[in-house]
Amino acid sequence: MITEKFFNKWIFLLLLIIPILGLIFNEPYYITLTTKVIILGIAGVGLNLALGYGGLISFGHAAFFGIGGYVTAIMSYHAINEELLFDWLIAIPGSSEMLIIWPLVLLISAFFSFLIGLLSLRTSGVYFIMITLAFAQMLYYFSISWPTYGGEDGLSIFMRSSLPLVNTMNPLIFFFICLFWFAISIYVTSKLINSPYGMALQATKQNEERVKSVGIETFKVKLIAFVFSGAITGLAGSLYTDLNRFVSPSVLDWHMSGEIMIFVILGGIARLYGPLIGAAFFIILEQTLGAYTENWQFWLGLILILEILYARSGIMGLFEKKNKYE
Amino acid sequence: MNNNILNIKNLSKSFGAFKVTDDIAIDLKFNEIHALIGPNGAGKSTLIKQIVGSVKHDIGSIILDQEDITDLTDIERAKIGISRTFQVSSVIPKFSALENIILSLLEKNQKTFQLFQNLQSNKDLFSKAERILIEIELDNQSSTLASELSHGDRRKLEVGLALAMNPKVFLFDEPMAGLDEAGTKMMINLFKKIKSQSPILLIEHDMDAVFALADRISVIVYGKIVATGTVEEIKSNALVHDVYLGYEV
Repeated sequence: MITEKFFNKWIFLLLLIIPILGLIFNEPYYITLTTKVIILGIAGVGLNLALGYGGLISFGHAAFFGIGGYVTAIMSYHAINEELLFDWLIAIPGSSEMLIIWPLVLLISAFFSFLIGLLSLRTSGVYFIMITLAFAQMLYYFSISWPTYGGEDGLSIFMRSSLPLVNTMNPLIFFFICLFWFAISIYVTSKLINSPYGMALQATKQNEERVKSVGIETFKVKLIAFVFSGAITGLAGSLYTDLNRFVSPSVLDWHMSGEIMIFVILGGIARLYGPLIGAAFFIILEQTLGAYTENWQFWLGLILILEILYARSGIMGLFEKKNKYE
Repeated sequence: MNNNILNIKNLSKSFGAFKVTDDIAIDLKFNEIHALIGPNGAGKSTLIKQIVGSVKHDIGSIILDQEDITDLTDIERAKIGISRTFQVSSVIPKFSALENIILSLLEKNQKTFQLFQNLQSNKDLFSKAERILIEIELDNQSSTLASELSHGDRRKLEVGLALAMNPKVFLFDEPMAGLDEAGTKMMINLFKKIKSQSPILLIEHDMDAVFALADRISVIVYGKIVATGTVEEIKSNALVHDVYLGYEV
């Protein structure tokens, strides 16, 4: 039987081939589509760390995706308009440099996930779901009522953020930038889950009372996972804004949280590449069924129901059934 | 020098009008096994929960190794040396027996928050865990998932988890429930061996095991300690016969 690791290698290879084929056949649309899949996959990888490995059913990851997106857009907006971002005590200009934006996005997403985690991780079960949803919706309504940055209409940035020595407007180059971040997010997740800390996290998911009884601070364990998870998802939001050169409150909406969760569930909970497969499947459905009917999500719902009833391990589970961390 | 490692004074807990533990005073000396017996619902497990901190007491104090731990959380108490087993087996079901023990070793070895070091590279954790599995006679089930272990083996594994913490005191809540004769015998021998490492407060309904192990016995009824003494003293106590032992002795 094909093992998950073997399958993962093929997925990575396939990711490289599709855009190259797009280039050969002069179909840049497919490069952009694959880039979108990768970015959404990164967001899923972020959520998977909290949900899949930590059992934290966050219904508010759109908050981090949106924060990443808005930080990128706001920085670029100020750089393009040559306006100061901050002019009180110290003057801080905007920037459209990826090397400045990425660390800032990671830092701010991590900071917000720390704050939200600090409050929401005191609850569990349905209360945790509701409180994370509430935080994301707060940010959503805040973005709508913030006219400086487009309010309900969103904010266009016209130019993709730049990186020294490369043309980020080239679809293939931007694809490889996103692929690089996807590899990094997989690497970080993999390192975390295979460490002593990862063992504590996965044990907490299964039996928190037992983990506490051996002296492990489960709150701290969950908070760390939530912060890493939020930072990774925030980075995906940043890349998404650069891909579209546009950000709007819809990236903070609960639909977005639901979609990221669907990527994880479809691909396979607690599977490293699961969210990417889930995102790919989602986009393929959108592109194929969406061409025939506006109501393509009806079929997505049907597939989700069937999966939850008969194939809980998701698409990845079809290749390797056993995963002790599910 | 105080001969007690654990001192509990005036510990009380009520759920509404129901007093589940009532002015409990109990201690645990170095190198001893102190058994706590009593009928079902007497408050034994609630007392254990109060000692480990998962149930907050209303009044009273708990002193561990001359340190007042009354206001510490359950995790802080576990860290400073209270190790327990649960009345109903509580393990990490999708971890192997070996992984369960390693988990229990993490905090004591300050490895819990090693975020990026591969667990497999911690050879010392693995060798310690393997030694504990041999001690509890589970080394042949090392890679079996805890959820697939027999009930008896899960009880053993729980004791292994407690051992791995190298605590100041052990609190064992019916560790022999459901064990076969060989399992009980193994557990008795193990407890005799480890009590010199850390004393044991033992809740157990298997009176043969209690009489074979206990240095002292306390009897709890309706949340109150009604008698404390050696095995012989408890066996000959008329009140204890009436409320718990009946004609079994």
